[in-house]
Amino acid sequence: MAMSDHNKVLELISQENWEAAAHAMERLDPSEVADLLQKLPFEQQQNIFGRFQVDFAARVVGHFPYYHQYVLLHSRGPEAMRAIVDKIDADDRMRFFDELPEEAWQHLMDELSGAALPHPQRPQVQPVSKPKLPGPSAVVEPIIEARQVQKFYEQPDGNRIEVIAPTNLTLEPETIIALLGPSGSGKSTLLRMLSGLSSPSSGQVLWHGKPLAETHPNVAIVFQSFALFPWLTVCENVEAPLAALGMAKQEREQRATQALDSVGLKGFENAYPKELSGGMKQRVGFARALAVEPEVLFMDEPFSALDVLTAENLRSELMELWMAKKIPTKSIFLVTHNIEEAVLLADRVIVLGRNPARIRANFRVNIPQPRERSAAEFTVYVDYIYKVMTQPQADIAFPSVPGKPPKTKFQMLPHARPGGIAGLLELLNDRGGREDLYHLADELRMEVDDLLPTVDAAVLLGFATLEAGDMIITPEGQAFGNATISAQKPLFREAALTHVTLLQQMKSALDRKSDHALPLEFFRDVLDEHFSQEEVEQQIETALNWGRYAEIFTYDSEDERLILHDNGLSEKAQTERG
Amino acid sequence: MPEQTNTRSGAPPWGIFPAGSSLLRDLPIVFAGLAVFYGIISFAHYGIGPMNTEAEIQLAPSALPKYALFSVIRIAAAYALSLAFTFVYGYIAAYNKRAEKLMIPLLDTLQSIPVLSFLPGVMVAMVSLFPTRQLGVELGSILLIFTGQVWNMTFSFYSSLKSIPREMREAAKIYHFSWFQRFIQMELPYASIGLIWNSMMSVAGGWFFLMACEMFVLGDRDLRLPGLGSYLQTAANEGNTRAILAGLATMILVIVLMDQLIWRPVIAWSQKFKVEQVEAVETPTSPILDLLRRSHLLSLASSWTTVPAREAFMQHFARMHKERRKAGKHSAVIWYLIGATCAGALAYGVVRMLRMVAGVSWPEWRAIFIGAGATFLRVEFVLLVAALWTVPVGIYIGLRPRLSAIAQPIAQIAASVPATALFPIILLLLIRLGGGLGIGALVLLLLGTQWYILFNVIAGASAIPTDLKEVCQIFKLSKGERWRKLFLPAVFPFLVTGFVTASGGAWNASIVAEYFHFHGETISTVGLGAVISDATNRGNFDMLLAATIVMALMVVTINRLVWRRLYALASTKYKLET
Ligand SMILES: Nc1ncnc2c1ncn2[C@@H]1O[C@H](COP(=O)(O)OP(=O)(O)O)[C@@H](O)[C@H]1O
Ligand SMILES: [Mg+2]
Repeated sequence: MAMSDHNKVLELISQENWEAAAHAMERLDPSEVADLLQKLPFEQQQNIFGRFQVDFAARVVGHFPYYHQYVLLHSRGPEAMRAIVDKIDADDRMRFFDELPEEAWQHLMDELSGAALPHPQRPQVQPVSKPKLPGPSAVVEPIIEARQVQKFYEQPDGNRIEVIAPTNLTLEPETIIALLGPSGSGKSTLLRMLSGLSSPSSGQVLWHGKPLAETHPNVAIVFQSFALFPWLTVCENVEAPLAALGMAKQEREQRATQALDSVGLKGFENAYPKELSGGMKQRVGFARALAVEPEVLFMDEPFSALDVLTAENLRSELMELWMAKKIPTKSIFLVTHNIEEAVLLADRVIVLGRNPARIRANFRVNIPQPRERSAAEFTVYVDYIYKVMTQPQADIAFPSVPGKPPKTKFQMLPHARPGGIAGLLELLNDRGGREDLYHLADELRMEVDDLLPTVDAAVLLGFATLEAGDMIITPEGQAFGNATISAQKPLFREAALTHVTLLQQMKSALDRKSDHALPLEFFRDVLDEHFSQEEVEQQIETALNWGRYAEIFTYDSEDERLILHDNGLSEKAQTERG
Repeated sequence: MPEQTNTRSGAPPWGIFPAGSSLLRDLPIVFAGLAVFYGIISFAHYGIGPMNTEAEIQLAPSALPKYALFSVIRIAAAYALSLAFTFVYGYIAAYNKRAEKLMIPLLDTLQSIPVLSFLPGVMVAMVSLFPTRQLGVELGSILLIFTGQVWNMTFSFYSSLKSIPREMREAAKIYHFSWFQRFIQMELPYASIGLIWNSMMSVAGGWFFLMACEMFVLGDRDLRLPGLGSYLQTAANEGNTRAILAGLATMILVIVLMDQLIWRPVIAWSQKFKVEQVEAVETPTSPILDLLRRSHLLSLASSWTTVPAREAFMQHFARMHKERRKAGKHSAVIWYLIGATCAGALAYGVVRMLRMVAGVSWPEWRAIFIGAGATFLRVEFVLLVAALWTVPVGIYIGLRPRLSAIAQPIAQIAASVPATALFPIILLLLIRLGGGLGIGALVLLLLGTQWYILFNVIAGASAIPTDLKEVCQIFKLSKGERWRKLFLPAVFPFLVTGFVTASGGAWNASIVAEYFHFHGETISTVGLGAVISDATNRGNFDMLLAATIVMALMVVTINRLVWRRLYALASTKYKLET
């Protein structure tokens, strides 16, 4: 009975009969309706949601995450929105308001009290949408489907480090997916597996349903370092992939010129890359990628090496080409560590955790293009991503492999400097001890990549806690942030020795040695079992940095030895004498 | 840059047939082409003639051009062989992980085996291959020169391949470059600068051992090949000072000509392969290269030959690559077979070698070890003396840009003149002054090795950043302090690099320095080099093998124990980051 209703709804959706679909849905359970809606493209969601009775809309909307709820509400006129919000279950409404970031909440309050003008970015509900996708879009066949892909890297010492935990992921046509994650989390590794550059250690990558090895997908990659050949001219660089396809010289030149033209590099055909600025080099990278007319365009942090303005320019030009369908590419897979970039460009955002990488969130961004950073919806998404990224990873429950005890994770030090931590806490103190993370990032002009480790470090040291994307200072943090520079050291030392496993281990190992000295190699070996080589070096660097600042030990870089600091020595000597 | 577009200009090739003035400009190129052609013909004519291993070497100056030509052709042939070997060996070692583990230590060992130890084996093999033709001995001589040239080139190529940036390699892979395209558009250009510098060093090394490679005693046979080396050797034997000087002058002339006509243009041309982000202010130039670039004849010839040939190759390999991709990976069985065969042959060789060494008697071992000790002391003493004068002089020159602009080319020519050629004169002088080969060997080693150190020190001193020099002035450091605190630490890494090259070179050179034919008699001094030379002359293969192994082991051990550690220290602690 319920099943047949469900099928009927699907059929009506495929006929694009929104009116009837909305009616049919009203007979279903609200949570089921929410599930169904989430699988549809956003325009269709709007079409249906716009036709729900106010009562029913109020019951459905509570089942969506707050950011989704926010944009869905805005797909109704101001009157209807007010009516729906009125009818939402009181507890749900409270939670929704709570979760909204400051600006969005303020904006919504204004709207609800009728003071604000209609929202400038609000998409108008169209009575009949243009037929965009053929057939029922709920069952669009993905271009790429990753099934339980997993990646191990073999260390020189034979240890195998899991970089990507078994992961499922699909890339549908006509979408831009942004893959977000802290650096070193495995974004590039995932991109390499999806594009066919490397094969997964286990699991499968399917292209149009066939294993990647059997198909020969036409893909292109835009690299962070541009990866141009410096000895070839701009034109020859763009031609090189075409020559690899066996294309004749004349056709090649023509296509290259066309591609260069579309990225605004006309007239630079005979220049060498080193004569160009960074932004222009990346334009060549784009031209080279577009010239092969790839089915999927992969981009690995394409804007990271550019300055802010150049990056912004290039991003908007890319979006223009994409929105105007001037590029033959079906889908774009963008790797980035910039949250705003992801929300600006992507139809879908995937957030990756680290060590090993796991998908922590995978959601649509329901804001029409072109997007504005100042829009309230934009802030809602940015805030949400901060929340996801700062949520402790242990909170997310994963089924462990049966028969295999889950490996206990070694505590991982975030790569932050003591000075940075102090600065952050000071600012937090000034802000009354509690603040939204994206506000802090804005204030400090820090990229997420710098900010998150600093935040994590403050949390690890017990100086602050996180709550739903807000950072809250603890009494210890307050003391540390307010202390003079010389008074900060002992506070840091105490916090480090209470909370940081590696530093505790280092100290007790040094304590036990009669000469209170140990080669660094000793600790490197300990870490080798848990981290990749690159990560081990970073862990060591951070531990040295913190340990020296906290005056736990000194480091002799010539012999690569750690020596217990005088502080520790005299303490010990005194207790021995006493 | 306009001259590079020549080949691409729209006009048909016959429309730009050289006009009067440009024909004049092309004349030198035409003549050069004819001369090369004549040289090859006459060498081939001589090569397929019947065996005449005891050619009478005429000391008349009129014979010199012919001899010089023959030597140049020999060195060129050996160089071509080295290049081919380099590509194959470097390629396999860089891309096959399993082979790499065996091939790189093997290369390291081969590199430390002195050239002349290869002599008997190579000669016996070649003469038995072509028992009646001159070709056999010729090939043997070429192979000998090859063994002196090839190893550092191979190392350079291998390490260049290994250091190609990951993203650049990935670009070539994702765009399906064929093997050929990858080689000419990525690997060869990337490796070219290192390869060219090492080629220069190798060819200079070829001149150093030329005398030994063109004239030698093998058991009861006295083999000599017409060439500059044998001319000098004969002149030395007869004590004919005038002939020695004439031969020397010819050799210097040939070296200078090669430098101007070949290396300089090649270096200037190779600047476009520099992997740098911005354009350098000063780049090497060469009038010869300008001449070649301006030549209509050449650009015409290349637009008819190399350009279409390259295009055809590219297309062909692109098609093959596509088919291969479609067909899937072909089996690795062949490679396993080849690998297993090589490993088997190697193992067999090691067993044979050990059995041969077992036949060396106790007194012979004693002689080898005493010789090894003597040569060790000699080499270290020479390095010390060389450092004592080159460090202050090198720093003095390097700190004064104008002076180093004059000194560099002079030092370069001085370095490329083989000390072996000067040796007869020095020996004559020493004998007149009452010294013997004991001092003579020291002088010869010094002449052969000090230049490497001098070059490197000059380079190091001129790389000291100006701001550091200014800091010294601001703090009014005394002269002694300046040397201790800035100059010496700054040139240290360069000094170590110079030492590594000089040390290996000195061990090798000891073979010619400690044992000499002079005035029809043999003079020698205690040393491992003398043991090796003597064993070669007497055809005592067991002893030769044992002594060679000892020398190779010593060189490898010293490299590992001393130079590599100093190198690591230099590249971490004393690196001046700019
Ligand atoms: N070829 C490799 N061998 C060993 N470890 C690797 C290799 N490539 C990447 N890693 C490790 O995998 C982790 C993820 O790397 P990567 O995918 O480049 O991260 P991201 O792109 O997110 O910065 C890092 O810890 C890195 O050290
Ligand atoms: Mg990356």
